[in-house]
Amino acid sequence: MPGRIYRLVVEGELSDRVGPAFEGFSLVREDGSTVLVGPVRDQAELQGLLNRISDFGLTLLSATAIDNRSPG
Amino acid sequence: MRSLDAGQDAALTLVAAPAGYGKSTAVRAWCASKNAPFAWVTLDAGDNDPVRLWRYVATAVERVRGGLGRTSLQRLAVSGGAVEAAIDELINGITAYGGEVVIVLDDLHVLHDEQCLGSLDYLLEHLVSTTRVVAITRSDPRLALPRLRARGALCELRADELAFTTGEANELLVARGGISLEQPEIDALRRRTEGWPAALYLALLWLRNLDDPSSAVREFGARHRFVADFLADEVLGALEADLRGFVSRASVLGRFTPPLCDAVLERVDSTAVLAELERSNLFVRRLERGHWYTIHSLLAEYATLQLASEDPDAIRNIHQRAATWLRDHGMPVEAVGHAAAAGDHAVVAELLVEHHLTLLRSGNAATLLKWVRTLPDDCVAERPELAAAGATAAATVGQHGLERRRLLHLADRARTEHPERWTPYAEAVAAMVRASMVDGGVESAVSAGRRAVALSASEDDVAVAALAGYAGALYLAGAIDEAWAVASLAVEHPDAERRPGTALARSTLALVATEREWLEAARGHAESAKSMVGRIGINRTWLGANAAAALGVLFTAEGQHGEAERELAGAEHFFRDEIASLHHAWVLVLLARVRSRRGRLEEAQATLRAAIDELAQLGDCGRVPSLIAEVEREVGAARARALEGAALEAPTGAELAVLQLLPSELTTRQIGSALFLSPNTVRSHARVLYRKLGVNSRSEAVARAEALGLLDGTQSSG
Repeated sequence: MPGRIYRLVVEGELSDRVGPAFEGFSLVREDGSTVLVGPVRDQAELQGLLNRISDFGLTLLSATAIDNRSPG
Repeated sequence: MRSLDAGQDAALTLVAAPAGYGKSTAVRAWCASKNAPFAWVTLDAGDNDPVRLWRYVATAVERVRGGLGRTSLQRLAVSGGAVEAAIDELINGITAYGGEVVIVLDDLHVLHDEQCLGSLDYLLEHLVSTTRVVAITRSDPRLALPRLRARGALCELRADELAFTTGEANELLVARGGISLEQPEIDALRRRTEGWPAALYLALLWLRNLDDPSSAVREFGARHRFVADFLADEVLGALEADLRGFVSRASVLGRFTPPLCDAVLERVDSTAVLAELERSNLFVRRLERGHWYTIHSLLAEYATLQLASEDPDAIRNIHQRAATWLRDHGMPVEAVGHAAAAGDHAVVAELLVEHHLTLLRSGNAATLLKWVRTLPDDCVAERPELAAAGATAAATVGQHGLERRRLLHLADRARTEHPERWTPYAEAVAAMVRASMVDGGVESAVSAGRRAVALSASEDDVAVAALAGYAGALYLAGAIDEAWAVASLAVEHPDAERRPGTALARSTLALVATEREWLEAARGHAESAKSMVGRIGINRTWLGANAAAALGVLFTAEGQHGEAERELAGAEHFFRDEIASLHHAWVLVLLARVRSRRGRLEEAQATLRAAIDELAQLGDCGRVPSLIAEVEREVGAARARALEGAALEAPTGAELAVLQLLPSELTTRQIGSALFLSPNTVRSHARVLYRKLGVNSRSEAVARAEALGLLDGTQSSG
C-alpha cells in the first residue's frame, strides 16, 4: 500500500530541538504555528503521529494528505 | 470539585482532557474530600483483555471493603470469557453493601479492545444509583456516550473546566508561589497558556528563579513560541547542570527506582535526589507499586529531546545500561524494552530465548511475538530456539499465519545454516507448532505431532504442548479414540496445570466426549478449558478459540443454540487468519449447523459456502469435508420441511412486525419494547403466527417464514 505525504499544522511555534521527535518530517515555523511535512506509510503510522502530537500537549490545527502522484 | 459533586446522579463522570491538565490530581483530591470509599484502577495496555480488566476492578473493589468483590472474582475464575455474569456479581456485591462506592478508571484511553469497552457499557447500563464510575482519559472513549447523555447518566469534566482561571493562576503563582506579579501580568500569562495547568506549573518553576518576573512575563506573552517548548527549555536550563543531567537521563528511563538510577547514571545518591525532586514538585512522582518513580510525561518528552541534542550517544548508553541492570535484577520484560530501544538486537534475542517459557506460560505470548518481530531475520535465524519460540507465540496468539510461517521458515534456515546450534528442543517445538496449526494438511500434521511427542520424551518443557497438538491433529483426522488417549496423557502430566497446552487438550477431550454423547464429561472438560484460558488471560487467542469451539459444540449437542452460536462466533473470530486455516473452516461449518437449527437457513447456507471456499484453498482436510456433507444434508432437510404445507392464512400487519424480529436475539420482552407492545401481546401474536405457519417453535417459524419469503430481505423460493 503506497504511503502518502502528510502536512500537519500545530498551534504554536516549535523550536528545532523538537525536530527529532518527528523523524522524517521537516519542521517550518509560520506565524503562530508550526508546519510538519513528511511521509506516512499507512493509517496506523498516522495514528501514532497524532498520539505523539498529543503527548507533547500540542493542538492539532490540520492534517492534510498531499497527493504527490501526478494526475491522469 | 463542584462539577465532580454535580455528577452525583450520573452513572459515568467522564474527565477528559489532554496530558497536563491535572485530571488525576483533581480526582484524587476530590476522592480524599468525600466520605464515600473509592476503588482506584489505573489501566495500562495489558488490561485490554476483559477477564484481566474485571479481575483488576473486582480486586480494587474488594480492597475497598472485603467481601464486595469476592463472588465476582470467583465468577471470573470460572466463567472464562463471559464477564457479564461477573459484572452482575460485582454490582450485587456493591448493592448489598448499601453504601456509596466510586470506581475510578484512570487512563481509560489505553483501552481499545471492543469487548472491554462493551463490558464497560454493560456495567454502566446496570449500575445502581449508589455507585458511580469516574473515568479519566486523554481521549473520548468509544463507549455508548450518546445513550448515556440522553438518559442524563453522563457528567463531563473537560479541559475548559480543568483549565485554570485567572483566580486559580493567581493562587498558584502569587499566593503559593510567592512570585511578585501584577494582575495584568497574571491575566497575560493565563491567556498565553490558555490556563493549561502543566504550563502554569512550569511557569511557576521558571519565574521563581528570576529577578524580574514581570518583564519576563511581558516578553513571553508577546511571542508565538509553543508554551511548553519554551517553558520546558527555561525550566531545564535553570537547573544546575548536575540536576539537569539527572532529570533528562531519568526521563529516558521512563520508569525507574533509585538503585536503577544509581546504576545507569553512575551515582550513589539517587534516593536523596529523587526525594528532593518529589518534594519540590519538579514533576517527579511516585508510582503505585513499590519504589518506582516517573517523570511527568510532558517534561520527560522535552528533557529527552534536550539530551539528544547535547549528547547523542547518551540515550543509547542509558538504554543499554538499563537493560543490563533490569536483566540482572530479575525484570526481563522491562529489560527487553530498553534493549530494543538501544537497538541491541542480540541482547533482545538472548533475553527472549532465556525467558520465552515464562512469557508463553503467563499469557504473554503477544508480547513475545511483538518483540520477535522487531528483530532482523539473520538475528533470528542464528537462534533456532528463538525462531521456534516465536512460531509458538504466533500460533498461540493466532491470526498471524504469515508471521508463523516466516518464523518456521527461519527455524528451518537455522537448522541448515547453523546445525551446531540446532537442538532437539527446537525440533520438538517446531514440530509441535506444525501439528497444532495443521499447516500443510492433516496427515502431515499428525506425523509432525507424532514426532513432537517422541522428541518431548527428553524435552519435558514441550511435553504437554506436543501431546495436545498431536491430539488436536488426530481429532481433525477423525481418529477420535487415539485423540482421546493422547489428550488424556497431556492432562495427566504432573505440570499440566501450569501449561497452556492443557487447555487445548481439554478442548479436544470435550469434543470427543460430546461426539460419544458423554455430555457430563464433555461439560467438565469444556468448562475446565474455558476457565484455564480465562485464568491465564488468553481468551482472545487461538488457544482461547479452541476452548470456545469445544463449548459451542457441547451447547449444540445439548440444544442450547443461542449459547452455542455465541461461543462459536467468538471462536470463528479468533480462528480467522491472514491465510486459509482449517480450524477456521471447521468452525464455520459448526456455525452453519447451529444457525440452521435456529431456523436461519439462508445464513446457514452462506456460512457453509464460506467454509467450502476456504477448504478449497487447503490440501488434505481430514474429517472436515465429511462434516460439511453432513451439515449440507441437515440444512437441505430443514429447507424442505420449511417449504411443506399448504398456503397459509396471511399474517396481519401487527403479526408481521413481530415476525420480522423473531430471527433476532431479542427476548419477548425486548421485542415488546421495540414495538411498544406488552410481552403478553407479543406472545399472543406469536401463537397466532405459529398456527398460521404450521409450526411449533420460534426457530421453525423463522425457517418457514424465510423459505416463504415473508422476512424482509429474503428471496421468495421455489
